[in-house]
Formats: sequence, structure tokens, C-alpha cells
Amino acid sequence: MGIWALRGVTVAIALIVLLVIGTVVYSAYVDYSAVKAELAGGSQQAVGAAVLRGVTETVSINITVPNKGLYPLNVTLTCDYPTTNVVCQRTSVDVSPGGQGVLRFRMTVLDVSQFESSSNQVVNGTVAISMEPFVGLVVGTNFGGFVKTGGA
Amino acid sequence: MYDQTITTRKRISSAVWAFVVNAIFWIVIPYYVGVFLSGRVPESALTVPTFVYEFGILFIVLEVGAAFFRGRAVAVPMISAVALLTVIYIWYATNGGVLGVETSGITLALNFRLMLYVLVLPSIWAAIRAPLSYLVWRRAMKAGVPSAIATSPVPESGSPPLPQK
Repeated sequence: MGIWALRGVTVAIALIVLLVIGTVVYSAYVDYSAVKAELAGGSQQAVGAAVLRGVTETVSINITVPNKGLYPLNVTLTCDYPTTNVVCQRTSVDVSPGGQGVLRFRMTVLDVSQFESSSNQVVNGTVAISMEPFVGLVVGTNFGGFVKTGGA
Repeated sequence: MYDQTITTRKRISSAVWAFVVNAIFWIVIPYYVGVFLSGRVPESALTVPTFVYEFGILFIVLEVGAAFFRGRAVAVPMISAVALLTVIYIWYATNGGVLGVETSGITLALNFRLMLYVLVLPSIWAAIRAPLSYLVWRRAMKAGVPSAIATSPVPESGSPPLPQK
């Protein structure tokens, strides 16, 4: 009896581990493929626009985030250290499995000429993608590239 | 299958076999992976960390001990120690489930701690199962249940035959 109970627990643990790893890897793969196709496929929803009004430029980025995986997906965009000249809106979207959400990111450069003239045109930003509850990926990059210098 | 009459010759051959297999796995393969990496990308700092060899030596010692004392109670803590060492090794190698890299002004951080808990679960269970299996087997021996003895799930965790009642 005891021996079979121990064997049963071993088999159960092995199945749980295989199930979790399999579903996480599968979900990561299909989510990555879907987002890549969305961004590279010329989708009209995954676009960025820069509007210049006077010296103020507003950068808008709308990204459709499909979730074809098995776990809920959360995507968050934030500016880590907004400067006095650049204002970012933290934006986040939760996408349940099988659904899709739109991530709307806004970044405002209060004075483009000042931004252009500065030697350090860096706006540190973070893209956080998490496949709840198992895996999270945080990408820190420069959002300054979104700003169209010289106007929109 | 649990074998109550393991000869010294068989113990030594098991230990030698365990040594060879583990030395290849923990020393030889990492070494050649390091040589390969440094040959492919000479200017990079891609090398096999020293802790791989340090853990490798511990694994070899414990595995050889467990193989030599196969079928005796003294092998049980060695089997558990190997399992626990595996947990520590995985935790250490993955930096506790938080890996980061920085390249070309982009930083990447991967957090998979919960996934790591799942990954180390079999090893934690293996560490617990070894003494439990031994206790179950010992109880079956005392009760004189031949089927339990014949189907003992952990052949390494035995002890010298106990007197039958």
C-alpha cells in the first residue's frame, strides 16, 4: 500500500511538471508568434503616430495584443524616469486566453526643440510582459526613438 | 529490484560506473562546452562557471557513495543529498528564477520563480521519497510481506536483511 502510494505521488508530480512546462512553453510560443505577426504583418491597429502642436509633440502608439495561449497575458508600458520635458502615461492591458486587447501608449514631449538639442535623447522605458502566473519578461529600452525629431 | 546479496565486486563496479557517468556529465561535457564557446566567440566572456565543476565534484562523490552502498541504509541519505543538491544547483544556476542580461542599451529580465518551484518539485520529492521508501520497505520486511520486498521502488535504499518473524 505504502509503496504504491509513493509511486502514485511520483507519477502525479511528474505529470504536473510536464503539464506546466508543456503549457507554458506552448503558450509562450503561440503568444510570441501572434504578437510578431501582429507587428510585422502590417496590421493597421499596430501603429504609432506623432502629432506636433507648436513645440509639443504627442506620440501615440496603439498595439493590438492577441492572446492565443493558455494563460492570461499582461502587457505594461512605463517610463522609468520621465524627464521634466517628457511625460509618459503608464499603460497596461490584461488579455485573457483566446481574447485580444489594445495597448494605448501616450508620450508627450513638452518641448521638441529642447529634446532635439539635448545631447541625451533618452527616455528610459520598460515593457513588461507577463504570462500569469508563471513567467514575466521585463525589457528596458529607450523610448526616445519614438519621438520624431524635426516634427511629425 | 531490491537485492539483499550484493557482492563487493558488484558494489565496486556500480561505483566505478557511477563515477564514469557522472564525471562525463559534470566535468567532461561542461569542459568541452566551455572550449567550444570560447572557440566560437573568443572575445566574449562566455565560459562555464566554476560552480558547475564544484557541484560536479559533490555530485560525483555522492553518486559514487550511493552506488557503492546500494542496498544499505547508508545509501538513503546520499540519495536524498543528491536530490537536495540538485535543487540547490538548479536554484543557483538560474539565479533563483530571475535572469537578466544587458546588451546594446536594452536590458532583459526574465522572472520565472514560480516555474522554478515547479521545476524543483520532483527533486524535493525525490529527497523525501528515499527515506520514506526505506521506511516502507523496512516495515514490510518486519511484517514479512514478500510482495512488498519484491516490488520495492527504491532498490538503493535497502539494508542488510532483517530477521524474519
